[in-house]
Amino acid sequence: MLEVRDLRSGYHGVTVIKGLSLEVGNEVFTILGANGAGKTTLLATMARLIPLMGGELLFEGEDISKVPPWESAARGIGYVPQEKGLFPELTVGENLNVGGMIGDRDRQERVDEIYELFPDLAVLEDQLAGTLSGGEGRMLACGRALMQDPKMLLLDEPTAGLSPLYVDMFFESVTKIHETRGVGIVLAEQNATKALEVADRVMVLSLGEAFVIEEAGNLTTEQLKEGYRI
Amino acid sequence: MSTDWLSSALVFGLFEVVMYIGMGFLLHMQLGLAGIGNFGVVGFWGLGMYAYGIIYGGHAPSGTDLIIDIPWPFGDPWQAIASVILATLVAGLGGLLIGWIISGMDLDGQLVGTFGFAAIVFLLARSQKGLTGSEGGIGGLDFPYDIGSEKANAMLWLLVASAIVIAIGYYTWRVHRSPYGRLLIATGQNEPLARSLGKPSNLTKLWMFTVTSAGMGLLGAMFAVIVHFLTPLKLGVDVTLAVIVALILGGAARVWGPVIGVLLTVGLFEIVVQLYAPFPDSWYRQAMPVVKQIIYGMSLIVVLMYRPLGILGDMRRDKLMRSIHGD
Ligand SMILES: Nc1ncnc2c1ncn2[C@@H]1O[C@H](COP(=O)(O)OP(=O)(O)O)[C@@H](O)[C@H]1O
Ligand SMILES: [Mg+2]
Repeated sequence: MLEVRDLRSGYHGVTVIKGLSLEVGNEVFTILGANGAGKTTLLATMARLIPLMGGELLFEGEDISKVPPWESAARGIGYVPQEKGLFPELTVGENLNVGGMIGDRDRQERVDEIYELFPDLAVLEDQLAGTLSGGEGRMLACGRALMQDPKMLLLDEPTAGLSPLYVDMFFESVTKIHETRGVGIVLAEQNATKALEVADRVMVLSLGEAFVIEEAGNLTTEQLKEGYRI
Repeated sequence: MSTDWLSSALVFGLFEVVMYIGMGFLLHMQLGLAGIGNFGVVGFWGLGMYAYGIIYGGHAPSGTDLIIDIPWPFGDPWQAIASVILATLVAGLGGLLIGWIISGMDLDGQLVGTFGFAAIVFLLARSQKGLTGSEGGIGGLDFPYDIGSEKANAMLWLLVASAIVIAIGYYTWRVHRSPYGRLLIATGQNEPLARSLGKPSNLTKLWMFTVTSAGMGLLGAMFAVIVHFLTPLKLGVDVTLAVIVALILGGAARVWGPVIGVLLTVGLFEIVVQLYAPFPDSWYRQAMPVVKQIIYGMSLIVVLMYRPLGILGDMRRDKLMRSIHGD
């Protein structure tokens, strides 16, 4: 579904992702890697927010290397950034409504589905997004992206800094999103143990290169340690 | 019906109030909705005003023609109507250009960029003698009709301006309730995220800035007709300050904010103080303009000190976002 070929990207001439190739289908694909490995850069490039320095990006067989971010979203790639994933001065309900700007299905129906997925949000419907707790905010950011009915969801460290309770809940939701909605998921994570539990496949990203791409069950502790060593 | 109580000065004061309300609506869409800081309101307004004077065929007070002298095949009112439309388009083009230049900038950059634009318009008006008449100004801009007296003509023009401003207000109200407005609000709050919502947020924002700048130019062109005579002195920063202060006072994020704000500022000054306060005559001519500028300037400083966007943020909550649920 989403294919990356010899991708290079970064900032102002600094290459962060150095020639990466991978293909993600309708699965949960986890990207592990130390701080600074380039997870955020890779996801933002996939969401077309950072220009490619080289290589190709394909979605459903079509080249999207040069499309603007709104078009990649319109084609079905939902993106939840690591930070600032919501509109702080809008309420929870308004964030979801704004998120559902595209898509054909009835918007209220979609909102109700999000509330079913994240029941905590339903209670907070009229609260300002900027006043939510970290965990609630992540759920909202994720729900906002789901409002677009994406085929592929890019989640950038959705559980970073959350309490264990929220972390467990969030990973359960990830599985649910994938299984009940049929959404392919690319999940960047630091929390290796939990992320491996929900993942079908995993890539360990190290200094902008794929150290290993493996079935989640087959990844060895050695590989993980090696990949995290800088 | 007797209209004696309605002096020419009052008609002019009312015109200013109506015009500033229109400007407030337009700045409300730029700043209150999309979060674009426009510190060069007078530039877009003045561009429309001067474009009208030049296109309509105004001339220097000496009677010499300006460089641009369009041989109109038809007379008034069509000549004036066509000129107003063209002046609006010129201001819209200015908005498109400046909007494009500032599109990647943060709020500070936008304020400086738009302020610089207004300064350029002012400099052109002052220095390009052949084009704008420079200090001598552009005269010969009469009402495109004559229904008897100067006062009656001005009243009719006030009605036309009121209709236009009501239309601008209606458009603003519609924008609040449209997906277009929702995208603008989202862009104003979190632009990077708005890019990923699936609609071209940057084009939407640029389009809105173009349209609202054109609207400011339209009001400038309307103003050119009622004052008959344009000079660079009309392009003072007080025009910008008046709109900004009124908007922030009335609540930049609400549709009705500009109306309340303008009544409290321009209305108070141009009508209540100007016409009914018992000050000696010499005051009005000499002290008042200065006092006005100082008060606007100081209000702006106070507002900036207390972080306008912080205040905006709070006020934004009050009424604005309710509309976002609907279509
Ligand atoms: N905006 C930026 N400008 C320049 N360099 C950046 C920027 N953002 C991240 N980087 C650099 O890119 C590298 C990868 O960062 P990032 O993609 O955020 O990694 P991760 O998400 O895996 O922690 C780091 O060395 C970081 O310093
Ligand atoms: Mg990161």
